Formats: sequence, structure tokens, C-alpha cells
Amino acid sequence: MIGLQEVGHRHELRTPAGHPVPKGEPILELHSLRKNYGAVEALKPATMTFLSGEVHAIVGENGAGKSTLIKLLTGVITRTAGEILWCGEPVQLANPNEAISRGINAVHQEVVLCPHLSVAANMFLGDEMNRRGLMRKRAMTDAAQGVLDDLGFNLPAGAVLGSLTIGQQQLVATARAAMRGTQFLIFDEPTAYLTRQESEQLFRLIRRLQSEGVTIVYISHRLEEVFELADRVSVLRDGTHVGTRATGETNEAELIALMINRTIEQIYHKEHFTAGETLVETRGLSGPGFADVSLTVKAGEIVGLYGLIGAGRSEFALGLYGRHRLSAGEVFWQGSKVEIDSERKAMELGIALAPESRRDQGLCLNLPIGLNINLPVFRKLTRGLTINRAAEAANADRQIRDLKIKTPSRRVLASAMSGGNQQKIVIGKWLSHGAKLFIFDEPTVGVDVGTKAEIYRLFARLLEKGAGIILISSYLPEVYELSDRLHVFRQGRLVGSHGYRTASHEEVLAQAIGA
Amino acid sequence: MSVETVESSAGPTPRKGISILFGLTLVGLLLFLWLLLGFATNSFWTPNNISNLLRQGAMTAILAVGQTFVIITAGIDLSVGAVVGFTSVIVAWLLAAGVPLWLALIATLAIGVLIGAFHAFGIVRMGLPAFIITLATLTSLRGIGLLITNGSTISITNEAFTNFSRADFLGVPSLFWMVIVVAVPAYIFLHLSRFGRYLFAVGSNAEAARLSGVNVNRTTYLAYILSSTCAAFVGLLLASRIGIGNATQAEGWELQAIASSVIGGTSLFGAVGSVHGPLLGAFILATINNGANLLNVNSFWQRIITGLLIIVIVYFDQLRRRGER
Repeated sequence: MIGLQEVGHRHELRTPAGHPVPKGEPILELHSLRKNYGAVEALKPATMTFLSGEVHAIVGENGAGKSTLIKLLTGVITRTAGEILWCGEPVQLANPNEAISRGINAVHQEVVLCPHLSVAANMFLGDEMNRRGLMRKRAMTDAAQGVLDDLGFNLPAGAVLGSLTIGQQQLVATARAAMRGTQFLIFDEPTAYLTRQESEQLFRLIRRLQSEGVTIVYISHRLEEVFELADRVSVLRDGTHVGTRATGETNEAELIALMINRTIEQIYHKEHFTAGETLVETRGLSGPGFADVSLTVKAGEIVGLYGLIGAGRSEFALGLYGRHRLSAGEVFWQGSKVEIDSERKAMELGIALAPESRRDQGLCLNLPIGLNINLPVFRKLTRGLTINRAAEAANADRQIRDLKIKTPSRRVLASAMSGGNQQKIVIGKWLSHGAKLFIFDEPTVGVDVGTKAEIYRLFARLLEKGAGIILISSYLPEVYELSDRLHVFRQGRLVGSHGYRTASHEEVLAQAIGA
Repeated sequence: MSVETVESSAGPTPRKGISILFGLTLVGLLLFLWLLLGFATNSFWTPNNISNLLRQGAMTAILAVGQTFVIITAGIDLSVGAVVGFTSVIVAWLLAAGVPLWLALIATLAIGVLIGAFHAFGIVRMGLPAFIITLATLTSLRGIGLLITNGSTISITNEAFTNFSRADFLGVPSLFWMVIVVAVPAYIFLHLSRFGRYLFAVGSNAEAARLSGVNVNRTTYLAYILSSTCAAFVGLLLASRIGIGNATQAEGWELQAIASSVIGGTSLFGAVGSVHGPLLGAFILATINNGANLLNVNSFWQRIITGLLIIVIVYFDQLRRRGER
């Protein structure tokens, strides 16, 4: 590990002395590993082997037990039963420190670093370079910059972490783990918030770590990434380990079948409806982050907006929804010119927005599911001074039932739900509002295949009822397969427009990247 | 994620049940204190002392309810004690200037509305943290009050006004009736109207609330205006009770109000709170003060006990929340 090792070796790794595990031999073995929460089996007895130096992908729907497995391996939670062998010897992994000191690290989907500190300070967090009790800030910045440059990340070590994009922060988190002399590195959906270039950088880093002998566990919803990176792949379903395959000997269809018992054709569920009246038309719309966007959405069609993160798609959506002030251009709603100067105005016209970030924009996480679902419609639920509590309960329960949100009650906090169920809550908010135009911004990020399919089928139901949909996604197959018309954004502008499947993936991608 | 899903399908106890349980714990604590003081002293269960206790707790209770609205939006109102002192000066000053009683009362409450609107203006338009803007008015209002009175006090000669606080209705002190006058509409507002839901939503995630069509700015104005108006109302009650207007009165009452609210289960991180919680919290604090007086405990101890109680109750509340996850 050139570059990495110089810094990383300051850690004493507690591997059994003298005999590093040769490549291809078991480095971590799980024997009948089990985790119960009360009466609930989050992980049923699982027996798995991770081989030294391999990239081992783990796939499964939300709730399949992936997070439980990671938490067990990183010492965040302790097992109920079973045995873990690290380099052939039984280990406890009773707390995160033990895992880290043995060289087991994880990079989480949501970056868990300090946004107000510099990149370098974050990379050295908890392990700062000191001289006589004083921090060697300069030396740390230089060392961190060295590591970042060495990894090929074009990131300034002195910058404040919070000023970077989420994708860049993720790379910093990865560099941090890499720097700490990791032998076994777990990635939990690392690309969920990354742009394509950032993903490419991350993949290069993963391959490089692998070539240096690091064992990688890679958890992802994106099966194409699994085939691109992994040597072997294990599938979890309902807390059960249902199988491990070499990636060379399996295919996407088989994995999906293992994960959900459903075939791939059932996932991208596209129904064509005759396009009806024009719902919304923008002419030369400009605002913060986007300029000169002209497009129309008709009833019964899905208009896809594709582009890299930061290309202006979400900004356009927020502008159309009245969240940001528009600087130029016109909006026509069902043929007549309108000024959308507030979210309320947009809602009253019949526009609904399921925003990009569930956590920051979509949900009140520490409030009940029912309150979240009803938030846009409390006005309708009010009779006189007070809310009609029966109607409030009925509306929440109906959305929970219709969308199959897995919860025992509408009173459970939204934070207790998995990503897929949270997304359903965000969508459920708008179904009772009676909107005509639905804007879905990255509706399937961090959502498992089964829930994805449900969401796509929901799109069809909405179109059938005469609604129109704007679908924003960074995941090309999704917008490509579902959109009746596909617009490509780059640097805040529309750079290409296509009909249903009229352009190739490569063409669309090239427009988005500007190649 | 998987863990959470599994846990949720196991069925975490619905939130409402827990909040009722927590409310009952507070009621239990209050009853326990009353029983204890009943055994420990001869004078606790005398009508005189109970009236006194209800009067003592009433003003903090009203402040605490107003404060709770603000804390639910993840804000804080440090100015309420100063508003109480300031409005006691205003009403005394107006009465001394010969303004009719009804007009003086309305004008004083209107000043409360204006102070709250100013707080919200500072937060919404100027982007100041709630802590800062209300800290600034805390010190400024006391200054303005002292300027008006030139550092002294204004006596109130209007007997209709001063008799009010000593009056009873159906054997219960009128000051305690005022708690009910405030608490019932407050309960309807917070728990039964959509504006209450909006307060919670803004406190939980203002951006999500905004994108769901909630007018976040208006909700913020509402919370701070309610808090300051409750404080102005308490200013009237205090002026009636002590018969003077003095800007230095009600020193530290903002902390009493915040403590009552927190003891009553309000989370300083926002989005958790009720109306009955702060009421119970205020009367628990009043009982401790009252009991300490009866038991001849050094009044300095009362402060220490209050501090310890806050730590214990909030700690148990934290444990409860952790268990919920």
C-alpha cells in the first residue's frame, strides 16, 4: 500500500502474529451467526465465508438483514449466538474499537463525519498527529493531501468537509478508512449519492485496495455494480442467507430471483397510456441552478429528467414547485399562465413533489408516520377549528394499506422505517392531496428491488388516473425504461430530448457528461 | 436499515401510549409529593396553603405553556421573564396615566404580541438564532422598563385590578382559573388543530414541512407571539398580585418556565411536547418550593433540588426514548 501504508501503519493491527492470511484463504468465517431483537430474528443462523483479497458483494432487499450483518461485523451490536472466526481464531467483536483494531472498517451510506471540520481533520479524527500535546495541523493536512492525491481524488485536504458534495464526502470517508490500515473494508451502499465520475473513482479505489490484499465487502442495490466489481456475491432474504455465487457463474436474473422470487421483466413495469391534455409547460424557465428550460408534461405520460447530480434537475423541480424564486421564463398550467411563487401555490394548482432527500426534505423523521402522510392535507382534514380525527386516522391508514407500508401502526415514528418504506411515506403524502402532476426526484435511491417494482407500478396507476409524472433519476436504466420522453440536463441546461427508447444509453450518457 | 424494519414489524409501542404513561408518571410524582408533604407537615393540606400553592404554580404554568409552543418548533424563548416584568410596568404605567382598565389590559397584551412578532421577525427575516434574539430582548426589555420607571416602581391604585388576584371563584383562586383559561384553548390549538401539527412538523424538519405546503414563517411567528402573549398575560397577573409595576420582577422566570416544560416531557430538540406536561411540571416545581418553605428548608436548597430534578427527569426521558429505538 504505497502512500496509504506510511500513514496507516501507525496502527498496531491485532492479526495473529506472523502469518497473514494468503489470498484466497478464509479471512473471516461466520458459523451459525444469529441476531435476535426480542422475539424477532433479524438474522437467522448464517454461515458465510469471506476469502482474503476478494470483493464480496452482499445483496438483498431492505429488511433482508444486511445492516444487521454489518453491525455485527463492525462490533456495533453483539450477536445472540454463533461464532465468528477472524484469521482462523474465534473473536468476540464486542465493540467498534475491537473491530477497528483488528482491521475491520466500514464506510456507511450516510456520511458519519463532522461537516464543520476540514477534510484533513476528519481523516485524522480520533487519531490526530500530536507533538507535545499540540496538534500538528500542517503535517496532517499535508499527509491527508498526499493520501487523496495518491488515490486520485481531486479533493483539497484543507477544505471544510461540509462544503463538499455528499459524493465527495463519501470519498473522504473511504480515504479515511483506507488510511487506517484496514484489512477488511465494508462498503454499505456507497454509490447511492455518487455521480458517475465519483462512482468510477470509488471503483478504482476498491480495485486498488483489493490488489493490495484488502478484503472488500460491497453492499449495493445496484446489481450492475455487483457484476462490475465483485468476485462473489451472497444473497440475503428475510434475514436468511439464501446463497453465495461466483459472479462469473450467475446473472442478474438469478440474483433477483434469489432476492425476491420475481423475474426481471416484472421490475421495469411500463404501461403506455394515450397522452392527454398538456398539464404544464415551461418556456425558458430560469432560476438558481438552471437556465432556459422549456418542456411540457402531458396527462398520462412520464417525462424523465436525466443528468449527473448537480446538473440542475432537482433545482428545476424545486423552481417549478415554488421553492426557489424564478429569474426568467414562464409557466403555463393547463394552458393558462401562472405565477408559482410559493409551495402552497404549486400545491393548489395540483403539483406534488417527492423531493430528493428523504431525510433532509421529505420526512419529519421523529414524528409519526400518520402525521407525515397527512401533513399536506391537514387543511382538508380540518372541520371548523379542529382536525377531524377520524378522517385523519382513516387517511393515514388508507395510504399505509394501499402502499403496503410495513408498520404496525400509523403512530410509529418515520425514523423507525427502512429506506423503502420511508420513500413510500413520502409518496403517500401526495396521493390523498389530489395532485395532477407528480414530481418524483430520485424515488428509488436506497430502495430495494421489490419496493422499486411497487413504486413503478404505482406510477402506472397514477398515469391511468390522468396524472402526469416528472421522473428525476441518476440511474439511467430507470429513466430510460420508464420515460415517454427523456430530457438530459447538463450544467443547468437541457442538452438533449428523446422519445421512448429512441436514443441509446451511450448517446444519453454522452450528452449528460458532455463528451 | 434491515434492523429497523424488523424492529418496526415487531411493533414498537405506539407513541401515544408512552406519552400517556409519561404523563401518569408525572401525576404520580405530584401526588407522591403531596402525600409526603401531607405526612411531613401539618400545614400542607390547609385550604390556605393549597390556595397559595395554586397561586404560586399558576404563573409559571402559563409561561411554561407558551414556552412549550416555541420549544416544539425547536426554538427557545429566553425573554419571557423580562416580558413579565416589562408588561407589569406597562400596565401600571397605563393605569397611572388614567387609561381605562379594559384598554390597559388589551394594550398590554398587544405589547406581548408585538414582542413575539419582533422575535419571529429576527429569526425569520434577519436569520438570527432564537437564543440570541430572545436573549437580546431579555436584557433590553428590562432596560426599557427601568427607563420608564426611572428605576423605581409604579404603584397600582386600581382596586378592581389588584383585588382580582386575591379573589376566589368556587373556592379556587382566580389565578388558577387563569391557568385553565389558557390551557384549554392551548390544548385545542396544539393537539386538535392543524396549526399544532404544523408546530411539530416545523420543529422536526422545517424543510420537509415547507415542501409539504406548511407556511414555516407564519408558524414561527405564531409560536413566538403565543409565548410572548402568555408572558404578557402573566405580567398582568403578577402586577395584580403584587400591586406594582417593576421591571426587575420575575427575574429568572424564563428558566422556571423552560424547566417546567422540560420536566413535562418537552424535548429541547423540538417536535416533542404537550400542554398537560408543562402544567404538571410547573406544579411539581411549585410543590417543591412550597414544601421546602413549610419544612423550613433553606431556600437555596430549593434551587439545587430543582436542578437535580431536571437532570433526573430528563435522564429518565432519554432512557425511555433510547428504548423506543
